[in-house]
Amino acid sequence: MSVTKSEFRQRIAAGIADERVIRAVHQATLHKVDAAAEALAELSDREGLRELAAQIKQHLLENLPEYLEQFVRACERRGTRVHFAADAQAACEIICAIAHGSGSELAVKAKSMATEEIRLNDALQAAGVRTIETDLGEFIVQIDHDRPSHIVTPIIHKDRRQIAQALVRETGCDYTEDPEELTAIARDYLRDIFRRCDLGITGANFAVAESGTICICTNEGNGRMSTTRPRVHVALVGIEKLVPRLRDLPVFLKLLARSSTGQPLTVYTTLITGPKRPSDRDGPEQLHVVLLDNGRSEILGGPFTEVLRCIRCGACLNACPVFRNIGGHAYGSVYPGPIGSLATPLLSGINEHAELPRASTLCGACQAACPVKIDLPGLLVKLRAQTRARQPLGKRLGMNVWKRLMQSPALFGWGQRVLRWMLPGGDDGWISSGFGPAGAWTKVRDLPRPPERTFRERWREGLDDEG
Amino acid sequence: MKADDRLRLAATDDNVRRETVARFLDWLKRRQRTAPPETALPDDPQTGAREVALDEDLAARFRRAATTVGMNVHTAMLSDWLDVVGELLQKHEARSAAIPAAGDGFFEAERVEQLRQRLTGEGIATQSDVDDETLFSVDVAITGVAAAIAEHGSLVCESQPGVARGSSLIPPIHIAVVAVEQLLPDLCDYFDGLSKRSGLPAAISLITGPSKTADIEGVLVTGVHGPAVVDVVVVRPA
Repeated sequence: MSVTKSEFRQRIAAGIADERVIRAVHQATLHKVDAAAEALAELSDREGLRELAAQIKQHLLENLPEYLEQFVRACERRGTRVHFAADAQAACEIICAIAHGSGSELAVKAKSMATEEIRLNDALQAAGVRTIETDLGEFIVQIDHDRPSHIVTPIIHKDRRQIAQALVRETGCDYTEDPEELTAIARDYLRDIFRRCDLGITGANFAVAESGTICICTNEGNGRMSTTRPRVHVALVGIEKLVPRLRDLPVFLKLLARSSTGQPLTVYTTLITGPKRPSDRDGPEQLHVVLLDNGRSEILGGPFTEVLRCIRCGACLNACPVFRNIGGHAYGSVYPGPIGSLATPLLSGINEHAELPRASTLCGACQAACPVKIDLPGLLVKLRAQTRARQPLGKRLGMNVWKRLMQSPALFGWGQRVLRWMLPGGDDGWISSGFGPAGAWTKVRDLPRPPERTFRERWREGLDDEG
Repeated sequence: MKADDRLRLAATDDNVRRETVARFLDWLKRRQRTAPPETALPDDPQTGAREVALDEDLAARFRRAATTVGMNVHTAMLSDWLDVVGELLQKHEARSAAIPAAGDGFFEAERVEQLRQRLTGEGIATQSDVDDETLFSVDVAITGVAAAIAEHGSLVCESQPGVARGSSLIPPIHIAVVAVEQLLPDLCDYFDGLSKRSGLPAAISLITGPSKTADIEGVLVTGVHGPAVVDVVVVRPA
């Protein structure tokens, strides 16, 4: 999906114009930021824990082939079938083939960003497998033919009226706007699906190399339902999701929910190791793990390796002053927010998403919030540099002129005089229009009028005007 | 062979599947940068991640944490745990209950029998050999736990012969009975113990609160797919 500059601008303009969404997103994210700050403050050594998490993930990434090998061995020992998918298409084909091979017709899905990334639902539907999202938010998104706008809260952009209308349309229930009743309607509808489904599809928050364990964190219980009822369970796992040891999991579990929603731990932390044992009462008879590359191995070992540390908590989205005011849809990226502005171009082509890393103020709030200490602003700048060649000629020339100006004191002084002429300013002391390229710049920005004489002029005169 | 056919084969034929995985791992190893890895794996993550000291009052910490996340914590003695559980069932007006299998944590065979008799005496239908369909119809599930963690007030349910994954999940009310000796201080302690075991259960659920969502306008609603009510009875020795 390539996004042109004008499309990108239009989409953002539409996003900014939707005041209701902006209010909803703003309110919800501010609440989350407060809750997360409070929950993280409870930790005895928050910084130490972040450092530990960053270190474990970085070590994992530097030794990924060995840990993947260990993971695959541990899985096979316990009867888990491991698949490898090089790209989105391969992953979809494999999962559809598993569904056909096991005669599955009704699949339930727990929330998973990786399945969004590969657009699995479309592929399953095309293959004749009815697929139902079971996370309440994702379910609403699905029946309303929409796309999730937030990693953690997919319907952050919808109000209860829209949700009620979608549920009435899908289930034929009586209209109500009460969140509790709406949830109960969805619960009953999905319970019936859970009783009949034969395939469960999940992602994984973590996968443990030493034991071949898949770890799924949910609050609603759909992750558990999807791994209890169906005969077959397929987990789609990005190759970067591994942690070395079971003992490493608490470090991440203690940070994930706190950073995400401000809970000390998600309600359900589910650890799956192999298919149901013969003596077990319930659980899937087959467990498939599909390891997804889809561009990750290209990032690995390069300057952007630390992007792969991400545990998808959504803290950077909530912290970001830009995304707090526009919602995740606006930028048309599967992974929204600051991490998405890195991950989306890196995973699906820098040239297709050249605008994303530029749509940031680089204020650093995301980095301060990141539980695995990814240097988001630094990497955004690095990524911008890689797309430099794609900038229009005018901008490239302009930047070269700028470079020359900044390197020569004489030219700099001359430039200051020219700029003053180009930005005359109004009577109110503010500059809101200008000539030539300066006019474009002031279209969305006002700036105060500069003083009569520059610092350099005053310095030359010995600053005597100031005494 | 077309690419699509190869992928279909990779998904269904074990040999092709293993070969595909092995080929990828080989390729990844070969293209790995020659620079030696720089970041060491911390020896003992517990040192930096522990929140609860081993000598803290675990029952008090558990009660505080579990209450914060929305579970109801009750205390009982070995002499009166049956009364406490019985009263809870009355309060919930339960007509039917799934009862645990012998060997599910606190529930030794004798205690399961005591529970069955007590409930039957009160006119509550008990289901012990639970299959999934039963779990969809009972009012309450009573279970033991494999452990409980004081730090966040978490219950640990492990799948094992006789102990279904669905018991603590499907019925709308979950009553968990925890022996006070089963309390562990910190999440780290549970995972440390787990990594020392020779084999793991197929499914482990850490349960920290009732099932919940805030997807609709940020309003907190309990009981989405899992139980809306979680009662925990902590039993102290007499």
